[in-house]
Amino acid sequence: MQTSKIFLTQVRVLTIANLKSRYRKTVAGFLWVVLNPLLMYGVQSQIFKKFLKLGVPNYYLFLASGLLPWIFIVQTLEMGTPTILHNGHLLKSYPTSPLVYLTSQIADNFINFIAAFLIVLVPVAYMEKVTIPGLLLLPIPLFFLILGVLGMVWFLATLQVFFRDTNFILRFALSILYFMTPIFYPVSYIPENLRWIAGINPIYILIAPFRICIYSFEIHQFTSALVPAVVVGILSPIFAYLYWQRKKNDIYFNL
Amino acid sequence: MILEVEKINLVYRIPLQRRTNFRDVFTSLVQDPMDTLFPNADYLHVAKDLSFTISEGERIGLLGVNGVGKTSLCRCIAGLFLPKSGKIKRYGPVRGVFNTALGIQPELTGRENAELLAHFIYPGTKDIDKIIDEAIEFSELGQFAEAPVKLYSNGMQTRLCLSVISARPTGLLILDEVFDGADMFFREKVSHRVLRLMKSSGGVLFVSHGMEQIKRVCTRVLVLHRGQIIFDGEPQEGIHFFENFDRGVKGTEGLFQFDGHQRI
Repeated sequence: MQTSKIFLTQVRVLTIANLKSRYRKTVAGFLWVVLNPLLMYGVQSQIFKKFLKLGVPNYYLFLASGLLPWIFIVQTLEMGTPTILHNGHLLKSYPTSPLVYLTSQIADNFINFIAAFLIVLVPVAYMEKVTIPGLLLLPIPLFFLILGVLGMVWFLATLQVFFRDTNFILRFALSILYFMTPIFYPVSYIPENLRWIAGINPIYILIAPFRICIYSFEIHQFTSALVPAVVVGILSPIFAYLYWQRKKNDIYFNL
Repeated sequence: MILEVEKINLVYRIPLQRRTNFRDVFTSLVQDPMDTLFPNADYLHVAKDLSFTISEGERIGLLGVNGVGKTSLCRCIAGLFLPKSGKIKRYGPVRGVFNTALGIQPELTGRENAELLAHFIYPGTKDIDKIIDEAIEFSELGQFAEAPVKLYSNGMQTRLCLSVISARPTGLLILDEVFDGADMFFREKVSHRVLRLMKSSGGVLFVSHGMEQIKRVCTRVLVLHRGQIIFDGEPQEGIHFFENFDRGVKGTEGLFQFDGHQRI
């Protein structure tokens, strides 16, 4: 109990410090962070709906429910991967858990995500139909999404200590993965014999129940999408923890 | 008893040639595929079946030549590293101080950094605000406390850091070359405060190259060499032993030697 309280206090203090440090010298401050997802959303929604004329009903809502969590995941992975390496001097100086730095990075991005979510989704949801049960169940997929991302970023941040190309490969892989993940198009657009690609994509697995809650809530569809998300959400941090434990000493000597 | 170290072995791998990107891997794969796939590595055995205890009120000076692994051993005791084998029993809180010129967030002010530092050093403490105020006052930074740390000199950062870390006693205090970096005037002032801190803490493990400080502060000295304690006793005698030993080692063999050279 005491340990969790200390952990949460350290995460809170570090997150506030990071936010202050980042926006202190900027004119637009916090606006820069929400501007990126807003612009991405604005441009993509117009291009895919009006240029490519994708025949997806309520397309603005459909895109927002997939693109915003995608941006959250991608930003967290990209910003979080160098975290252990960048905070090496602190980790070697004070007995703090690396999870404090990683969780703080996730919290930092999560605040941005919530801001973008409210700015985009509230007006879109007002214009297009969102079901109340879906919104009430939204915290469940969101919880497993955060847990899954924590595991992924923990593993990648550990890997980055030994293999400095990790972050470059990650950026490259994510830009390719964006087109292979049913974010701006529905999964039904993928030929049936290739749908397994989306089925093994952990990012899509985490996003799918989130999207169902907002876009097309139906309880059976929701539960069948939630089960794999729960599996990824639980296994991902366990795998990262085991890898961390195995490499713990080597990490400190490589920082 | 505050600390019991039982037959610990602490080994770390020193890659003889670090390849951390694709280009290096590719180049070495072409030049020497066997060595790339099965690289040579050396191991530094920081602790070999090392055992010692620290009792309540003891202030131990840890001596050893550079690179012998004093800091690694201290980090292991502080819980940053895990020993390969053996046990470390801590009977109370342990606080290790390994770096005193640390600006955590250069964009933030000295006060904000002190707050961050206090939360890392004194987790769960209720009077954090009091610690920060006292530390700022003690550091004599004045109005600079409200300026970004990126504008601080190394000495100013050390002042701030030392003021925060020396604010409260603990069960076992580990101090690793903490006075380095502070200017002469502040060093005198902070050494009084650190001395008070050492006396009010349960026990102290003190690493320093300043023999005068060791003589003044410690009640016992350990000399570490090649993973083993080769001296354990009175400070005066320990310093004399180390100074003669240091000259002897430099005269007869290289200072930095790895313990095992093997293909992994």
